Amino acid sequence: MTTPANLQKRIQRVEMCDIVKRFPGVLANNKVCIEVNAGEVLALLGENGAGKSTLMRQLYGLYRPDGGQILIDGQPQVFHSPADAIAAGIGMIHQHFMLVPTLTVAQNVALGLKSSREPQLDLERVSKRIQELAQAYGLKVDPEAYVWQLSVGEQQRVEIIKALYRGASIIILDEPTAVLTPQEVNDLFVTLKRMTQEGHGLVFISHKLHEVMAISDRIAVLRDGQMIGSRPAKGVTRDDLVKMMVGREVKPLAPQPLQTGPVCLGISGLRAMGDRGTEALRGVDLEIHASEIVGVAGVSGNGQRELAQCLAGLRKNTAGTIQLNGQDITQASLLERMAAGQSYIPEERMRDGAIREFSVQENLFLRDHAAPQYTNGIFLNFARMAARTREVIQQYSIKAPGGDTPIKNLSGGNIQKLIMARELSRQPKALIAAQPTRGVDIGATEYIHQRLLEQRANGTAILLISEDLDEIRTLSDRIAVMYEGQIIGIVARGEATVEQIGLMMAGIPLQETRAKASA
Amino acid sequence: MNELFSLAVITGILTSAIRLATPYLFAAVGEAFAQSSGVVNLGVDGIMLVGAFVAFYVTLQTGNLWLAVLAAALVGLLMGLLMSLISVTLKAEQGISGIGLYMFGLGLSSLLFKLLVGTVQTIDGFKVIKIPLLGDIPMIGEIFFQHSLPVYAAFLLVPVAWWFLEKTTWGLKIKAVGQNPAAADSLGVSVDKVRYFSVCLGSVLAGLAGASLSTALVNLFQENLTAGLGFIAVALVYFGGWKPAGILVGALLFSTVNAFQLWMQVLGVNISSDVAVMLPYLLTIAALVFATNRVRQPAALNKPFERGEN
Amino acid sequence: MKKHNVWMAICALLVAALVLTACGQAATPAPAAKVVRVAVVMPSSTTDMAFSQSMYSALVAVQKEMGGEAAMEIKYSENMFKVPDAAAAIRDYASQGFDIVVAHGSQYGASVEEIAKDFPGTTFAWGTDVNTFGLPNVYAYTAAAQEGGYVNGVLAAKLTTSKQIGVTGPVEVGDAKTYIDGFVQGVASVDPSITVNKTWTGSFSDVALMTEAAKTHIAAGADVLTGSSQSVVGSIGAAKENGKVLWFGTQSEQTTLAPELVVASQVYDWTAMIKEIIASRAAGTLGGKTYTLQLSNDGLKIVFNAGYNLPADVKAAADAAIEGIKGGKITVNP
Repeated sequence: MTTPANLQKRIQRVEMCDIVKRFPGVLANNKVCIEVNAGEVLALLGENGAGKSTLMRQLYGLYRPDGGQILIDGQPQVFHSPADAIAAGIGMIHQHFMLVPTLTVAQNVALGLKSSREPQLDLERVSKRIQELAQAYGLKVDPEAYVWQLSVGEQQRVEIIKALYRGASIIILDEPTAVLTPQEVNDLFVTLKRMTQEGHGLVFISHKLHEVMAISDRIAVLRDGQMIGSRPAKGVTRDDLVKMMVGREVKPLAPQPLQTGPVCLGISGLRAMGDRGTEALRGVDLEIHASEIVGVAGVSGNGQRELAQCLAGLRKNTAGTIQLNGQDITQASLLERMAAGQSYIPEERMRDGAIREFSVQENLFLRDHAAPQYTNGIFLNFARMAARTREVIQQYSIKAPGGDTPIKNLSGGNIQKLIMARELSRQPKALIAAQPTRGVDIGATEYIHQRLLEQRANGTAILLISEDLDEIRTLSDRIAVMYEGQIIGIVARGEATVEQIGLMMAGIPLQETRAKASA
Repeated sequence: MNELFSLAVITGILTSAIRLATPYLFAAVGEAFAQSSGVVNLGVDGIMLVGAFVAFYVTLQTGNLWLAVLAAALVGLLMGLLMSLISVTLKAEQGISGIGLYMFGLGLSSLLFKLLVGTVQTIDGFKVIKIPLLGDIPMIGEIFFQHSLPVYAAFLLVPVAWWFLEKTTWGLKIKAVGQNPAAADSLGVSVDKVRYFSVCLGSVLAGLAGASLSTALVNLFQENLTAGLGFIAVALVYFGGWKPAGILVGALLFSTVNAFQLWMQVLGVNISSDVAVMLPYLLTIAALVFATNRVRQPAALNKPFERGEN
Repeated sequence: MKKHNVWMAICALLVAALVLTACGQAATPAPAAKVVRVAVVMPSSTTDMAFSQSMYSALVAVQKEMGGEAAMEIKYSENMFKVPDAAAAIRDYASQGFDIVVAHGSQYGASVEEIAKDFPGTTFAWGTDVNTFGLPNVYAYTAAAQEGGYVNGVLAAKLTTSKQIGVTGPVEVGDAKTYIDGFVQGVASVDPSITVNKTWTGSFSDVALMTEAAKTHIAAGADVLTGSSQSVVGSIGAAKENGKVLWFGTQSEQTTLAPELVVASQVYDWTAMIKEIIASRAAGTLGGKTYTLQLSNDGLKIVFNAGYNLPADVKAAADAAIEGIKGGKITVNP
């Protein structure tokens, strides 16, 4: 395999000047200028749809700019494909990992590269080099493992190794922390620091402010395709950045304490099998009261997904009961659960929550199209449906050109708002919200959070499953930590520190973490 | 009934099975290449027909079997380019374009046969070559080492295809493009180029499958000579889980049961010929049903690739 | 990519395929007045060296005898193995005003029965079968294939040394079956200890399997092969490759396929029947009769391969069998 063009050929400076990129009906980048230097982390901050990814995809050769130019160490560059960008020393870690799950780590790394024994692969040599890189940058990974066997964090390490292996000196990281646990984020940051020490220049795309402030040297903010400004990370405040991003002030949420009602959703002894054939839920007991948000925290893969699916009626439980307002719904079908007053916001919104090719209106009426106000039994009342769609678009401030736009053209936040609108319009008694703000921008996140709190105020019992610990800590009245298919502990808001919750997530019960804290 | 299990009969069955498996192996291994890259080519049978005719006609005219094989490979390549153009560049629905290609091949081979040949004629095809020493081993020699060149070539193709898919940089690209084209694209691998290559390679092999039929197995051509053999080959790809070794097992299973039923009838085993004829197909369906759960289908199968959709 | 481009491409391909298939049909000039217009619908191709070709050759022969295209127009649809397609073709020809429509396949019976009622002025002929459905405008025709089968059987029994004979065919019905039945009787009349093994492949078009079936017989020890139907060419191919086996044909003269192997073929000759149907129609009889090709009415002939050195005593035995059947001294049960 080709040896990476190492330190001697490091890029010192990449500039993108007056970049213009148009998509049908959208001006994605409007005369944007940025620069990255070796040894620094540039954070590219902005809401979803602000044009961050589009800008970087041009630097990586996936799109061709309609205007402006790219300079590397002062030399103009034209990238026809990622191959050109890679050859020039650019690497990119995509938000949706570009890995082939059925291949091994070494195969993924070797993909597309000339082999030293062409046409034969020389995977041993690749593996050796991977291990060298892993050592040098603190990226622990097994080259022989298949990618589908790896955790999300490990997959990300493979992506980084892929870029390093190709000798990338400028590396773009597109929302790298979106899928990681707090511990994994820490590990990633250690790696990133080491990379800058080695002379790499990094572009860090994110909308999580505290992370951006923690890792970057400079912060550039994009909004609606335009560069709003660039600041040194030192001395900048959270409020400044939010204002630049959103264009207005966003107040931090402070949920009012509420008198919780009687038990609404009661789960006891719940057991279920996971997809891999092992037991994913091993006896979950949890009670959620009316007017209460219970947050479920945990490292992904500890049964949160299966818990949500069991409650929604999408997965059969093997033991235990689920009660809704005293009524046993363990064996109830999806439809019966809905009728009983339960709503569900699924984790995989594009897979389980909406239909890509359908319009906003069609998605909105996926469930309620048979309701008496929209049909006479045979025909749908499209006029009334369209009116309702317009109302919802406005009420939930969904950014969509119209009700007939296919939702695949909408951003994640807007799709999530649409699903919220659909599920909340029924005034549910109990709401299961799984990862409601994953991959959603600040504006939409704020909005969704407000809606959840509104529901809480209206007396709904809410189970919030999230891997974003901040979200859980902000919204939840009580926090339940899941570990290996069980609830390892429940704490009230403010009762435990981030560290204590983190330890619980790692499987250490509350008593022990307290003991540790006092010791 | 006891006769059915004598050594001579078992030898006969296995010899037949090896021979019968030949066109299936060429065609199915070829299809596995195309499908591994994410393109379902249902036109295999049509390509086989044209390949079979061209090989037959060149042999008839020149008597040169190598020229015949070369010509079959070439028309396979041309039809592969056509399929790639439609399914990769124009991004048409693969199933429909494949069926179109099949009908095109069926019509073209029939037309050419009528215009150029007219009536059924036989040719001198590939002769049986007995491998020295190995061919003299009792039973084993007869089963494995007394065949014509295309039969040996088909079986050699299996390890070669395995090596190509599993051990070369090109094989890695093909599999990556079939599983996650966006990932391959992001590493500078040209998805279209890899798919063109895979579809064309598969089509060349389909052309050779046709040639093996007309110049080694039956030594003649007639309209619709393949009788849907190419579609069985597509099924074998699924059965074999997109792996050459799996395809080998499937092809041998199918041809062995076929040979078995022929022998059953010859030996007068008291079973309705209709049932006997059904056996290999019943088995194929049953095997497919059980096979579907364990296979790893290329995730991007049947999906045209367009950059930027994720 | 623009969608309509894609559809254009697919459509173009489909049209090309259809045109190519259609090109296979022979174009015939427009008929002049007083021409006898005959159409034939066949399950396989006119060049199958068997069933369909026997009918097509007979029609062409009659046409030549009557004075070429000026006197008789022939149109044909071949490869109509799907009955609904064939039924549509039969109806088309009838509605186009053809005088005689030949439905050359036993599977077309139900279609003929239905369509003939709608075109009482058209003559329909179909076979092989004996049923005219009681309709005055339907002829049925069949071949006493067992007769030639018997003769071939006598020859085969005299020539085999391994006392094993193989029979291949697609399905065990119609004249395929009667031919084999006659063949078995002929073999038994010479030497009852000879075994005749039969294989049916279930497909009219799978030549590869048919070839393998023949190879199986050879591997099992057969030194004489016979069989009926379209796909028999595959068996001939196998016999040719092996070089030591003998072949007996039926339906069409098959010597050209393998001159060194074919001993004799039973040939169907439909010319006499076609002429009679044309004559009867001219005289006002549109149908209602059943024809049977027989050795005695020269509808069946045994054609020997001149290039095969047949021992005189064997030839004599065959001639005796032919005469015996013609004279009624030998009865062959279908």
